[in-house]
Amino acid sequence: MLVVTSMAACGGDEGTNASAPKAPATIPELTKDPLTLSFIWFDWPPAHALETFANAEYTKERPNVTIKVNTVPNANWHDAMFTQFAAHKTDFDIPILDSQHIGEAVTNGNILDITDFVKQNIEVDAYNPYLLAAYGQFPQAETGKRDENASLYGLPLLGDTWTMIYRKDLIGDTPPQTWDEMISVAEKCQTDNPGVSGLAFHQANGSDAAAVTYNTVNGVYGGNLWDAKSRKIEGVLNDAAGQEAMDVLVNKMKPLTAKGSGNWFIDEVNAAVAQGKACIAFNWIAASGALLDPKESTLGTTKEEILSKLGFATLPSQKTNLVPLGGMGMHVSAYSSEEKQAEALNFMKWFEQADIQKKWAAAGGVPARTDALESPEFLNAGPFNKVYADSVSRMRDMWNVPEYARLIDIENTNVNAALNGAKSPQDALNDIAKEQQAVLDSSSQKGGGGL
Amino acid sequence: MAVSVDEAVATGPARDRTPSARRLGGRGRSVLEVVLLTVLAVVMLFPVLWMIETSIKENRDVYAIPAKFFNFTVTMDHFKDVFVAPGGGRSALSAAFLNSVLVAGVSTALATVLGVPAAWAYSRFSVKAKKDQLFFILSTRFMPPVVVVIPIFLMYRQVGLIDSKLGLILIYAAFNVPFTIWMMKGFVDEVPSEYEDAAMLDGYTRLQAFWRFTLPLLLPGIAATAVFALIFSWNEFVFAIFLTSSDGVRTAPPAIAGLIGGTTVDWGLVAAASLVFALPVLIFAYLVRKHLVAGVTLGAVRR
Amino acid sequence: MSDPVSLTTDHPGQAASATPPAPGRSRHLSDRWLAVAFISPALLLLLAMSVFPLLWALYLSFTDYSATRGGPAHFVWFGNYTAILASEQVHLRALTTLIYVVGAVTLQTVLGFTIAYLISRRTRGRGLLTTLFLIPMMLSPVVVGLFWRFMLDAQFGVINSMLGSLGLGQVEWLTRQQTALFSLIVVDTWQWTPFIMLIALAGLTAVPKYLYEAASIDRASEWFRFRTITLPLVWPLLLIAVLFRAIEAFRLFDLVYILTSGGPGVSTETLSFHVYKVAFLGFNTGTASAYGILMVLIVIILTQLYLRYLNKLKED
Repeated sequence: MLVVTSMAACGGDEGTNASAPKAPATIPELTKDPLTLSFIWFDWPPAHALETFANAEYTKERPNVTIKVNTVPNANWHDAMFTQFAAHKTDFDIPILDSQHIGEAVTNGNILDITDFVKQNIEVDAYNPYLLAAYGQFPQAETGKRDENASLYGLPLLGDTWTMIYRKDLIGDTPPQTWDEMISVAEKCQTDNPGVSGLAFHQANGSDAAAVTYNTVNGVYGGNLWDAKSRKIEGVLNDAAGQEAMDVLVNKMKPLTAKGSGNWFIDEVNAAVAQGKACIAFNWIAASGALLDPKESTLGTTKEEILSKLGFATLPSQKTNLVPLGGMGMHVSAYSSEEKQAEALNFMKWFEQADIQKKWAAAGGVPARTDALESPEFLNAGPFNKVYADSVSRMRDMWNVPEYARLIDIENTNVNAALNGAKSPQDALNDIAKEQQAVLDSSSQKGGGGL
Repeated sequence: MAVSVDEAVATGPARDRTPSARRLGGRGRSVLEVVLLTVLAVVMLFPVLWMIETSIKENRDVYAIPAKFFNFTVTMDHFKDVFVAPGGGRSALSAAFLNSVLVAGVSTALATVLGVPAAWAYSRFSVKAKKDQLFFILSTRFMPPVVVVIPIFLMYRQVGLIDSKLGLILIYAAFNVPFTIWMMKGFVDEVPSEYEDAAMLDGYTRLQAFWRFTLPLLLPGIAATAVFALIFSWNEFVFAIFLTSSDGVRTAPPAIAGLIGGTTVDWGLVAAASLVFALPVLIFAYLVRKHLVAGVTLGAVRR
Repeated sequence: MSDPVSLTTDHPGQAASATPPAPGRSRHLSDRWLAVAFISPALLLLLAMSVFPLLWALYLSFTDYSATRGGPAHFVWFGNYTAILASEQVHLRALTTLIYVVGAVTLQTVLGFTIAYLISRRTRGRGLLTTLFLIPMMLSPVVVGLFWRFMLDAQFGVINSMLGSLGLGQVEWLTRQQTALFSLIVVDTWQWTPFIMLIALAGLTAVPKYLYEAASIDRASEWFRFRTITLPLVWPLLLIAVLFRAIEAFRLFDLVYILTSGGPGVSTETLSFHVYKVAFLGFNTGTASAYGILMVLIVIILTQLYLRYLNKLKED
């Protein structure tokens, strides 16, 4: 009995703060003592670029600060951050959240509300408002556009979207303009070049891989993921446009992929391109730098030779020209010391300045400020950077709600099942809609949540 | 007494005594058996050989189709990458190896210090409900780690042990104590208690008798038990990935898993890291080869 | 209480001397004190790290508590349990787990025993052979999972490359419903066949020589000798090995996490993997705790039944 009551006490003492605590409007006085500012991200080149860049540049202004970017495996990224949030003790000060994680973190009070800070310190007019909304605003606006009155919880760190990677030597210099054209070009290329598959894209059931692929096709074919206002997924996602998108993905695109590519994600798509095994591929821009490395590639022995064969383009459009929004924002952990929270705010203010954003672009980052996006520093830093600049106005994000992790898992596993023949495309889509709706509606359920 | 590899070499059913009338058929069968055994050995060992090959190939050869078995350029770069960071300095992997050494080492020491005396006590004294206690101790090992990790996580959150080496050490020790008790009880049972009785007649206390006469005889058994505890902590993944996150604490298994899922997978590095990581375990396993059976069955099977 | 230790074949006569004669009263008291002092630290650690968390999980399993959302835990009593037992999702995972456990354990028992039998019939090179065969078992599941994922890759993997050289087509090892579960079973079998082999070998080398000699004088057939001498002596050990493997396989998480992450779809999601998703994706701590408690109960009940059956078998 004693044990039970003490456990009840242990279980019940948190959760008094149901919403996010507020950050100060002005940056408090910063420490002069040595201080380490820690980030958490998943292990990929931008994470290492950020650490190098920040240690080289930020320390010019704040010599007593060291920047540390902790990295975890991609598959473990959400779990690693949110288990620490759950522990109410974080070994990072600036979590780099996926844009859809914001809802969960805000609802649980894990990150600071920086609305007032942004008003005082950040030139919001310098950004495409949509990017500010995507990486910082909660609740998400129905339109996807920024709501001036909504609170902000983060600032953009790295913008990203999909790029179409195509073999100039196999399909010509002009990239296909519509999705249907893209499919027929890929089909022809596959027939003409034995051993090379027409398409390569993300199909894995981990992280958000297969789900983003379906969402992209869904957007292009005029579908919607949900009706945010009435919180309806059933009947919206699986409407006629949604069904058509699923049909295109499974019956037209999947047959053009390599056999056994059903568990491919970023690495595998890159490997297929670098090994010359794909005519057209889709990947995140921030992950495409590795394609230009001659050590990993069979397409050429120099970067120039590789670029003579590889082209990068914005995604083809069909009924709409929507592209998936990737990238991540910076946030401030509610469990860091005040000293480090102040330093984190100062870092964010520093990072969002025009000249620093340009330097970040030159260092391999993807900035969010319009002036930096249009700067030669950014556009010349990589062959795919123009693709990003051209895509900004076309982006669409997923649901940014506290239930995100469950929603994405349902979509991922079902799309992956459809792609690999474990479910019919129609059943998969209807199951996604039904199960996701159940997650959104589950608040009144008594027990068994999360099954 | 447990089976040993050496012993397996020495003894064996008297196959050669087969009457000569059946010799010919026996030889054909013997050849068949050797062939079958060879095939099985090749199948079982191929992945290990392939891992060694991959670790010394250049990345472009790693992906070659058809796979290159012999004609590739040998490189030691992947092994260098295991220890040295790309920009120079110590790599994150080597830091994780050091964490593994510390966590596995201390948790094993703790489990041994707690487990050996308990095993001795269970062996020598009549303890109330001894069998029930022992089965209870064993059954704590039956719980799926992914289930145990939830309450452990909540508990650690209260006491601030999340993402700390101490937290990992305690949970590994708790997983190794049952094993240590079960395995050591077998070793203690083999040391006649008359030794201690005789010592006590000479005026030693029970404790002194244990310390001076029994414990030295147990040392080989303790070493074997400790090695198995060490191997468990060394290879453990589930607790490591859910209870730790920072580079300063992370052990090698999650660090190796982290090599996957960036933008390219360096399979050569994965292979090299895996080999470096496996080497200590293989050496230890060879050292305790006499006690392998007891070691892998928590002492429940001792032959 | 059934007791695995009763299955050991320790040399007789040693167990009898385990408890010393109780000499004087004072010494007996000090013995008891010593026993308490020696046993209690270990038990305290187990109470703190195993029993207390389990009780905590038991309490949470009756609530709707979530580790991230915080807030007080509301009692839903058996709501989590009934929801889990009624859930079709759980039934699906239970079936997957069952196929996996039965498939993997059967395969490794057959293979492991075969290898042990073949080794036991060699006179030379047995030490080396045994040592080599044991390597897979000593590797971390992380290493095993990662490397097999690489070898089984449909495009770049060495397995398909070899099949290609033999003129066979590519197999989608990890991305088709049947092959993915099969691959999981194969990889687990690769790693754990040595375990069964090791224990079977212990039994086989324990068969006294004179029994075979007597049998060969009787000109008994090879099969007869195997059936009447070898098998009865090895059988109990083999059954205990199977129990250990089945418990381990039932708890399997790491290999799934790395090799297939449950895919394609959810076709290789085991119960353990599903618990992980409930616990760490939705942070439905209450539900996950109930799920875990049910899994522990199943292991304990099945183990008890199995051991009882084993002891009965021994008595017959």
